[in-house]
Amino acid sequence: MESLSDTLWDVVICGTGLQQSLLALALSRSDKKVLHIDPHDYYGGQDAALSLQEAESWVADVEAGKEPSFRSALITKPDGSTGLGFPRAYSLALSPQLIHARSALLEQLVSSRAYRQVEFLAVGSFFIFNPAQDPSQKPTLARIPSTREDVFLTTAIPTKAKRGLMKFLKFVLDYESSPQTDLWQPDAEAPLTEFLSRQFKMDTELQTYIITLSLSLDGKITTKDGLAVIRRHLSSMGMYGPGFAAIYPKWGGLSEIAQISCRAGAVGGAVYMLGTGIKAMKEGEDPIEVELTSGDVIKTRSLVRSGNDATGQIETARLVAVVGSPIKSLFEATAEGAPTPAVAVVAFPAGSLSTPGGKASEYPAYVSVHSSDTGECPNGQSVLYMTTLATSESQEILDQALDSFLGAVGDDQAPQCLYKLQYKRLEGSTQSPAHGSIFDFTIPSTSLSFNDSTLEPVRDAWKMVMGDAAVDAEYMQFTDREGAAEDDDL
Amino acid sequence: MADSGNAPKPSSSVKLVLLGEAAVGKSSLVLRFVNNDFQENKEPTIGAAFLTQKCNLPTRTIKFEIWDTAGQERFASLAPMYYRNAQAALVVYDLTKPTSLVKAKHWVAELQRQASPGIVIALVGNKLDLTNDEAGSGGDGESPGVDGEGDARKVTTDEAKTYADEEGLLFFETSAKTGYNVTEVFTAIANAIPETSLKTARGPGAAHAAARSEEQRVNLNGARDQNAKDGCAC
Ligand SMILES: Nc1nc2c(ncn2[C@@H]2O[C@H](COP(=O)(O)OP(=O)(O)O)[C@@H](O)[C@H]2O)c(=O)[nH]1
Ligand SMILES: [Mg+2]
Repeated sequence: MESLSDTLWDVVICGTGLQQSLLALALSRSDKKVLHIDPHDYYGGQDAALSLQEAESWVADVEAGKEPSFRSALITKPDGSTGLGFPRAYSLALSPQLIHARSALLEQLVSSRAYRQVEFLAVGSFFIFNPAQDPSQKPTLARIPSTREDVFLTTAIPTKAKRGLMKFLKFVLDYESSPQTDLWQPDAEAPLTEFLSRQFKMDTELQTYIITLSLSLDGKITTKDGLAVIRRHLSSMGMYGPGFAAIYPKWGGLSEIAQISCRAGAVGGAVYMLGTGIKAMKEGEDPIEVELTSGDVIKTRSLVRSGNDATGQIETARLVAVVGSPIKSLFEATAEGAPTPAVAVVAFPAGSLSTPGGKASEYPAYVSVHSSDTGECPNGQSVLYMTTLATSESQEILDQALDSFLGAVGDDQAPQCLYKLQYKRLEGSTQSPAHGSIFDFTIPSTSLSFNDSTLEPVRDAWKMVMGDAAVDAEYMQFTDREGAAEDDDL
Repeated sequence: MADSGNAPKPSSSVKLVLLGEAAVGKSSLVLRFVNNDFQENKEPTIGAAFLTQKCNLPTRTIKFEIWDTAGQERFASLAPMYYRNAQAALVVYDLTKPTSLVKAKHWVAELQRQASPGIVIALVGNKLDLTNDEAGSGGDGESPGVDGEGDARKVTTDEAKTYADEEGLLFFETSAKTGYNVTEVFTAIANAIPETSLKTARGPGAAHAAARSEEQRVNLNGARDQNAKDGCAC
C-alpha cells in the first residue's frame, strides 16, 4: 500500500456530498492523484441516506452543531405505534430530490457511463390536497392532469377552464419563440399566478395546478422562472418512457449518485478514506500541507472542501415520516405501458393547512411519497418527505400536513405514522468558492426537483484541478470500461 | 442429461461481490476466473471494477456480474451499496495471514445483516500455493512457499471449514496463482443460487421482487427524444 504522505496529491477532496462526488467522477479518468476523504463514516454528506441508527447519531451531530447546513433535528416515535422494521431496513434520504428527465445531471451520468450502476424509478402523479368542506367529510387528493391528453380526458375540470389550460400547455412548450415572448416578457418578473390569470383566464384552482407542477417553495415563482420549470416538466414527460416526467434513484436519491460517483473515482485510482477529515492545514504554501484527523500529514497541489457557510437565505423545514401502509392508490401507472411509479407528489397549497392555534399556512407544503420500491423502507410501508419554507410555525404546519395526508389516503382508518424525523435545512451563500488552489463548495440548493445550477461549481472545481489540461468538450465524456458495456443486453 | 432439443438454456445474471482485506487476492481470483491470467506483484487494484463471465451449468447459464472493490476496502471505505442486492459474495482471506480471516468473518456478519436474505456466500482461503499442500502447489510444479521452503500456512483448513459450516457458507481453498480450485468456486456458487432468486424466474417469493423491479426500472439508454420533443404524450 502506498503511503499517504509519500504521495504528492493533485487534489484532496473533503466531503462526499453530491458535488464533491461528481468532481471525483469527473476526475476519474484524468490520471490525477486524488485523495477523497469524508469525516462521516458513510458516503453522501448532506445528501446521504441514513439508516435509523445513522439518523440517530446524525441528529446528535446536528444538535452539536457539527452539520452546518442543518439545525433543529429531532426524532419522535408516535406513542403506541408498532410495526417499525429493523433500523437497517430504512434508508432515509436527506436529499430526496426528484430529477426531471431533461436535467443536465442525467446527461452527465449517461455521458460519463456512471448511470449504469444506478437504478432509476419513475415519479408518477402529482396531487393537490383539498381540505374537507365540513368536519363530517374526508379531505381529498386531486390528481393534476399534466399532459394535454390527460387534460382532455379529465372530468375534474369544466370544459371552459380546460380550454385555457390546453392553450397554456401548448404555449409553454414554445414560450421562448418570437410571437410568444411578447405575451410574457412584460410580466417576466411578476408572479406566474397573475400571468396565468390575465393571459389564460385561469381560476385559482388551475393556477394552483400549475404552481404545484413548478414545485415553487413560496408559491410566488416569477413568470420567467415559472415558465422555464413548467416547460422542463412538460418536455421531460415521456422522454424515458410513457407517463412520467421525472425519475428518482432507488435506495435514497442523490446519496446513491454520490456513492456511484465515488466508486467511479475509486475505479480510476482515487484513494478513499471515510471517517477522516481535515484537522489542520498550512495555507499559502505550495504544495498545501494538510493534517488529517487520522494523524497523517499529506501534501497536495489543491484542496476542495465543503462549504460551512450557510447563511440561511433560504431555509426549509423538513419532516420525514415512515408510515405503516403502502398507500397503493398513489402509485398507479398513469399511462399505458408506463412503469409503476415509486414516487408521488402531493401539494398542500398555501392556506390549505392551519396550525393548532388557527393560523393558516403561509406557503405551500409538499410531500414526496415514496413506496417501498425505492428501497427506503420495508414492504408494506412508505416514507413521506415533507417540505415547506421555514417559519416559526412550519413544524406545526408539517405535522398538520402529515395528519391531513393520512386522513385523506386512509379508507376507514388512517394509516399509522411509525417514525418521524424533523429538521431544518439551510442554503445560500455569498462567498465565492475559489481562492487560489483551494475550492469551497457552497451549500447547494434545496429545491424539490434537482437544480442544474448545482453542477456548475463542480465543473469550476474540475477546471481548477485540471489547470491547463482542462478541455471543456471532454468534461464527463467517458467510454465504458472494459467488461461494462455488455450490461445493456441483460 | 435431459434432451432439451434446440431450445436455448435459460440464462440469468447474478450480481457477485468480492469482499475481504486488501491484498488477499480478490482481484487476482477474478482475473484468473475471467481471463485465466495471473500477475505477480501487480499494482494495488485499480481499473477492474466490473467484469462479467458466463458459467455454463447443465440446465442453465449463469452470467456473473462481478463487482470488485475498486480498492475501497483499503481504508474501510466500502459502502453498503456495494454489496446490497448481491445474490452471491466471495469472502476472501489469505491463508498465510490469520488477521485476514478475522476480517473475513466481519464481512460475513455484515452480509448477513445487510445483504439480500438469500445471498450465497463462499468463504475462500487464497494463496494455497504458499503452503505445502499437494493440491495448491501442484499446479505449475513449483516448490511451495515464497522462499521455496517451508509452509507459510497460518490458518488451518479445519478452523476455516468449521466456521464455514457453522455459518452455512460454501468453503474453498484456492490459488489464484496456479488457478487451483478457482473455477470450482464459481461453479459451486452458480449451483447454489436458488432457481427462484434468478432475475428471469417468474413466480412468488423472492423471485417476485426481482422480476418486478426489472419492469419498473427506467432505462436511461432509452431516451425517446422524438417523442419528448412533442412535449407530452399526446
Ligand atoms: N502467491 C500468491 N500470491 C497471490 C495470490 N493471489 C494474489 N496474490 C498476490 O497478492 C497480491 C494482492 O493481490 P490482489 O489480487 O491485488 O488482492 P486484492 O487487494 O484482494 O484484490 C498481489 O501481489 C498478487 O500477485 C495467490 O493465489 N498466490
Ligand atoms: Mg483488489
